[in-house]
Amino acid sequence: MKLHRINAVIVRHVYEARRNFDRVIDTVWWPVLDIIMWGFFTVYLAHSNRLQPTVVSCLLGAVILWGTFYSFQRDMAVAFIDDLWCRNLINLFSTPLMMSEYMAGIIVVCILKVMVGLIAASAIGWAAYSFDILPWLPKFIPYMANLLFFALALGTAITGLIFRYSTKVQALAWSFAGLLMPVSCIFYPISSLPKWLQAVAWMMPTAHSFEGMRQVLAGQGFSLTHFAWGAGLNVVYFALAIVFFGWIFEKARTRGLLVKQE
Amino acid sequence: MLVEVENLTKTFGEFCAVDNVSFAIEPGEIIGMLGPNGAGKTTTIHMILGLITPTSGRISIFGKSMATHRGEILEQMNFTSPYVAFPFRLTVLENLMVFARIYKLKKPRERIDQLLERFAITRLRDKPISSLSSGENTRVGLCKAFMNDPRLLLLDEPTAYLDPEIAWQVKNALLDAQREKGTTILYTSHNMDEVERMCKRIIFLHHGKVIAAGSPIEITQAILEEEREEPALEEVFLRLVKGKAA
Repeated sequence: MKLHRINAVIVRHVYEARRNFDRVIDTVWWPVLDIIMWGFFTVYLAHSNRLQPTVVSCLLGAVILWGTFYSFQRDMAVAFIDDLWCRNLINLFSTPLMMSEYMAGIIVVCILKVMVGLIAASAIGWAAYSFDILPWLPKFIPYMANLLFFALALGTAITGLIFRYSTKVQALAWSFAGLLMPVSCIFYPISSLPKWLQAVAWMMPTAHSFEGMRQVLAGQGFSLTHFAWGAGLNVVYFALAIVFFGWIFEKARTRGLLVKQE
Repeated sequence: MLVEVENLTKTFGEFCAVDNVSFAIEPGEIIGMLGPNGAGKTTTIHMILGLITPTSGRISIFGKSMATHRGEILEQMNFTSPYVAFPFRLTVLENLMVFARIYKLKKPRERIDQLLERFAITRLRDKPISSLSSGENTRVGLCKAFMNDPRLLLLDEPTAYLDPEIAWQVKNALLDAQREKGTTILYTSHNMDEVERMCKRIIFLHHGKVIAAGSPIEITQAILEEEREEPALEEVFLRLVKGKAA
């Protein structure tokens, strides 16, 4: 992999972000809107004395963490869709640019965008609802890393599907993470789920991250078990996603799909 | 030989798009690839670029196999076609800067300004791609194609959307590149006069097969099966496509 080619992909998407208002909306609008809406909800619950303060923190922390996961997964696939929509893939892949360099560039862009969204949402959580994420951050970072790792695996797999089935399945970029919401246990513990669904939730790195986050906010310390389970599952899912993407990419070249994308 | 294509075949299911095609290109040559729509020209170019994996056959460029040295080979070649596009919100300069970075040019702005001037689109430098006409877009594609001073240039109908004056400028730019830098060019076009003027040698494809190869006059005599003083590629084309001479 060559750094200058990864840099070229980053620059391409930075230019896009500067000129495409949709990408600004994606990066800042939704994380900010989510925290505002859930913030008001926690204010209402707190005024009615219906909740303990830790539950308010759990809700707002969960909104922020889910926002990073969802944004990363969506932005990975959307970056690829952008090149698909404007029929730029032939231009890009008739240069020495390798697929691994293209994906690495997109990952860096997604990390930058997630950071912008995270900072915006955290600032509003702090300013409007007195939820300061900073003291919790050192213990949250490993769980956030797991969330981003899982988003990377999902984003890779979804990009592979879009490679194969083109814009017919592009809606997956925005909707797939939603399918995982119920079993990711963002706002409730895994124990709230029916037994059979708990088994599914334990297989989700997201569920382990949110369980871990709740333990931290409840003052029970950092859970190495949840972190290790999340990381282990991520290694498996990421390996599967890479194998799947490599297989799809070779299929696309064999079937001539790379030059027929639209 | 700069390019060697041996027994290249590409099938999509039952359909054979390219059927056992072989040809070679010498350094500094401008070679035309002609044929009606669906003859296999673009598929052949895409296989040479490594965008499509051949079903069988071998492609060697600069003495190296495309299958194993793709990145290394693509550093020294380039491609354009009016049928591919650029991110339309980005300006001409931004788009070209991305490719300048891919090729790691030392003075990208200087190079881009030279190319914009060569193809007479300096005034469009800061315009978004979405505001350009088809012909202007084609010229941006040509700037991209010359970005890395390629040893081998693959051009798929490069003058398709250009008015005669600009097409003439583009043809001169290609001939200059060939004369001054020895650029080797593989050229597809539906404009027979243009091919006659530009190319010393032509490969004629039909239904995925090479049906004739040689100079324009050799092809004319072989396909029309009569002695001619001048090449008549238009007649050759019509004979092949419609089964009759014009």
